[in-house]
Amino acid sequence: MMKHYYNIHTVWLLMLLLTLTTYSIGEVGYGGIGVVLLLLITAAIKGGLIIRDFMDLKGVSFLWRAIMYGWLWIVCLGISIAYFMSL
Amino acid sequence: MINTPTENEANLLPGDLAIWFFIFMELLVFGIFFIAYAVMRLQNVEMFNQFQLTLNKEIGATNTLLLITSSYFVVRAVHAIRQGEVNRCIHWIYAALLGGLGFLVLKSVEYYDKFAEGITLSTNTFYMFYLSLTMFHFLHVILGMIILFAVALKAKRGAYSDQNYTGVETGASYWHMVDLVWIILFPLVYIIR
Repeated sequence: MMKHYYNIHTVWLLMLLLTLTTYSIGEVGYGGIGVVLLLLITAAIKGGLIIRDFMDLKGVSFLWRAIMYGWLWIVCLGISIAYFMSL
Repeated sequence: MINTPTENEANLLPGDLAIWFFIFMELLVFGIFFIAYAVMRLQNVEMFNQFQLTLNKEIGATNTLLLITSSYFVVRAVHAIRQGEVNRCIHWIYAALLGGLGFLVLKSVEYYDKFAEGITLSTNTFYMFYLSLTMFHFLHVILGMIILFAVALKAKRGAYSDQNYTGVETGASYWHMVDLVWIILFPLVYIIR
């Protein structure tokens, strides 16, 4: 059932929705580590969707996927640590 | 180069392998830039929070929507050429280029406002990062558009088909990288505080 709704069109719509969520959180002006993590996880999910579905890397060798997802998670983790240290 | 999706190719990267090494290098540079921003902010938290509020979040969010949609159009172009529909592929690429152009126009408006206020790279550390990071990305959008336009021209000359679409995938992969970088850049510079 889930597979039926998971396609390139719904991935695109989901990313638009996540972008509007990010913007809304910014508009409200919430801060704190919970919000920072929420925003970074949202960005990581969007990045993951681009890598998996837009770049079409879901079936490629583990090495290539590890480089791409590794970059995404290391960057998000690095930013999270820096923001956590600033609180 | 002839493309025929076979089981042997199933685990290969889409497009030309060379573009992927270029993409990995670009991501490394942007990644270092992002971490540097977060680390520099540690020493100037109040200043970064204060000047972040001067940025136009509406333009930032609209540009994110534009880039994501443009990337989606490029996916549609790749799907079209894999089915041998050259004209449809070209139309999707043109639609993607319009999205890229919209991004450049809005970003230029944003820069115009900032420059009109007398803001430069040397105004403070926040603006130094904001301007250099976004301008570096801006240049990548322009390069991505040039690549996509070249792909569209080649497609128009009949260079691609359902048997030969490496060039389309190569251009598409670069464009998605431009989108991927902005996906991190937007919340980092405009939203997270």
